[in-house]
Amino acid sequence: MPTTWIHPLSAEVAEGPDVLGGKAHGLVVLRRLGLPVPPGFVIGTAACRAFLRDGRFPDGLTAELAAAVSWLEAVTRRRLGGSERPLAVSVRSGGGVSMPGMMATILDLGLTSGATAGLAAETGDPCFALGARLRFLSGFASAVSGLAPESLDAVVRGAARPGSGGRAGDPASGCGTDDPAGDARGEETRLAEAVRDLESLIRERTGRPVPDDAMRQLELAVGAVFSSWEAPRARAYREVHGIPHDLGTAVTVQAMVFGDRDGRSGSGVAFSRDPGTGERVPFGEVLFGRQGEDVVSGRSATRPLSELAGREPAVWTGLLDALDRVEEHYRDACHVEFTFETGELWLLQVRPGGLAGRAAVRVAVDLADEGVIDRREALLRVSPRHLRHARTPRVETAGADGVLARGLGACPGVATGRIATTADRAVRMAADGPVILVRPHTSPLDMHGLAAAAGVVTAVGGPASHAAVVARSMGRPAVVGAADLTVDAAAGCVRAGGRTLPEGALITVDGTGGQVLAGRPRTVSTAADPRLDRLLGWADEVSGGDPDRDGAERLAAARAVLSGTGDALPRTPSGTPRPDTGRPDTGRPDTGRPDT
Amino acid sequence: MMGPPGSTGDDLLVLHTLRCIGFAGAARVAEAAGLPRPVVESELDDLVAAGLVSHDPGDFGGWGLTEAGRAADAERISRELDATGARAAVTAAYEDFLVLNPELLDICTAWQLRSADGAFAPNDHTDPAYDARVLERLADLHRRADTVCAELSAALLRFRRYRVRLARALDRAGSGAVQYVTDDLEAYHTVWFQLHEDLLATLGIPRR
Repeated sequence: MPTTWIHPLSAEVAEGPDVLGGKAHGLVVLRRLGLPVPPGFVIGTAACRAFLRDGRFPDGLTAELAAAVSWLEAVTRRRLGGSERPLAVSVRSGGGVSMPGMMATILDLGLTSGATAGLAAETGDPCFALGARLRFLSGFASAVSGLAPESLDAVVRGAARPGSGGRAGDPASGCGTDDPAGDARGEETRLAEAVRDLESLIRERTGRPVPDDAMRQLELAVGAVFSSWEAPRARAYREVHGIPHDLGTAVTVQAMVFGDRDGRSGSGVAFSRDPGTGERVPFGEVLFGRQGEDVVSGRSATRPLSELAGREPAVWTGLLDALDRVEEHYRDACHVEFTFETGELWLLQVRPGGLAGRAAVRVAVDLADEGVIDRREALLRVSPRHLRHARTPRVETAGADGVLARGLGACPGVATGRIATTADRAVRMAADGPVILVRPHTSPLDMHGLAAAAGVVTAVGGPASHAAVVARSMGRPAVVGAADLTVDAAAGCVRAGGRTLPEGALITVDGTGGQVLAGRPRTVSTAADPRLDRLLGWADEVSGGDPDRDGAERLAAARAVLSGTGDALPRTPSGTPRPDTGRPDTGRPDTGRPDT
Repeated sequence: MMGPPGSTGDDLLVLHTLRCIGFAGAARVAEAAGLPRPVVESELDDLVAAGLVSHDPGDFGGWGLTEAGRAADAERISRELDATGARAAVTAAYEDFLVLNPELLDICTAWQLRSADGAFAPNDHTDPAYDARVLERLADLHRRADTVCAELSAALLRFRRYRVRLARALDRAGSGAVQYVTDDLEAYHTVWFQLHEDLLATLGIPRR
């Protein structure tokens, strides 16, 4: 394989995150650790910079791309766009500095109409193949044709399985093994219609059909990912976070692995330590029969990671081994995104660190106790900001069986109150005590209910949704995207965790950890955290400081001594590259980590 | 009671404003609709008589749509859209709005939360340089948003009010009244959220 612009995802690649992007660099690390990563290659950031400068692929890139695809075809013994044993690939952006939620992903690329038929014949599952084609078209329409995902919704939802619950189910998840055979037929017709509708919608809106030539699809996708670096939204993100505009993004192309392939497939996120508490227990979520995007987007109901142990013991063992190995390599708590296809485990991403508050303190102190890092490094790993964050109360979930649903924490804090399922009822009920407003999503019509409530839960939405912005503006602890929770405002009840809770039932939301719990669980803050006391004791030893000062000040004084400045640490915003290294500033020694 | 082409009668304007901003007092309805308060109060009385709006007295009292009011608004606002031939233009502008919406939400999130060593913590607004960068992005987005609002106003006059309200929120936030980014009933995000609701209601699209 030529190496001017393109690098294989292999253990031998020497380039760093500045060339490969943080995501692909992490995949190279996984390869070096002997862990399973789907085969693929990376188009380096230099190609992106040349593309953005000249408005076209740099000389030689097209030929290198063709050669890289041939190599991937040889490795997988599949053909991109082939009508027999078709190869489908994922195309993802990823720069040297993480820009969460900002960049483009196209899955199942290469599934031309012929290849889709080929995949259906190969797997004997036409619904799976059509679902994959639909996923490809949606990704292509949004990344390449620039159509907003919302505008594709009507079509994609039309394909959703009837009886899949109040919210639209994910159509791209095959016919489902639990469906009676007759239903699968109707499902296939519905998916085929959705594919046709989406094809015409894209043609109508953009004046061009999606090309049915797989190599052309790939070239367009790569160009679109390059261009996504300059999207106004990405520019705005960099401006706000102080990230230079001239870095460019890499493009990772990998053979697809299908978490929605069959009943023994799925995907998830796994943490080597509990991100809420820092405790050394594997933690995470798994979604059986679905693709990884559904876990990350919070669009589907997930199961606790430990359910893998019973259902897919080989995957579970492999995952535990992987978590051990990545922790040992990064010398820090890590998390991985994974997919398993027909019982075979694949890792799609690794990230070290990223824990906050109490959990960050516990991990740093525990790692020092375990002898993995020394006390100096433990002090450098906890920023004074983490300490401020650590004061926010959290619910004590250790051993708690009262977790009804998990979502994304959108506004920190804990609130307990009685369930109200409409804004009007929240206002009325608030006269008699605290209320938690639980809604499918929020609209301006809910504003008075939000104002009256002590806390908020929504079933859909991300950390940057209207609901999240409004909750924060009012300082209401909030959990958004609690996908495994159904709100039935007409019946005045909420269904979650296999239970039905009527309006008026007492629940608690933790807007940091994203949990919704029954009743009023115990809350904790770091006011009495023995590990924090020890860490601050180490800090005083280093700085010769005064234990009567505020914890954040004690830590900052120690860090100033350790960083050798004798002064405060450089105040660059987190995640921004220091000018001298081009690496993300995580406030830690540079260990060649990918973006955190 | 017909106004110039593309202009909405006061009764529908008051009804629809309430549909988009939710439960509110007459002063807020007047502000959002751009109508004098006495006109709004008189229209509200008529809407109550027609069973389309209900009034809740009490300390936090105000006006809200009844189920019948919601249905009437959906029917009349859709009729207006077709009668004025504005459906295509509003649909196209909605597409443009959807492209800007995630960026606006990112900017509001950056205003409220600041990433601190890999984790997010509330922005305590003690770093003027950071806040200035976020406000610059808001101003930049506003230029593009205003173009979309101009297209909407050209199709249906009532959308003109969003241009006024968004520009004023930006202006106030830029002059140091920081609550006008996300935290006030006339803040940029609040008005934007109402515009989003208006576009969905006007086009008859359920919120996802």
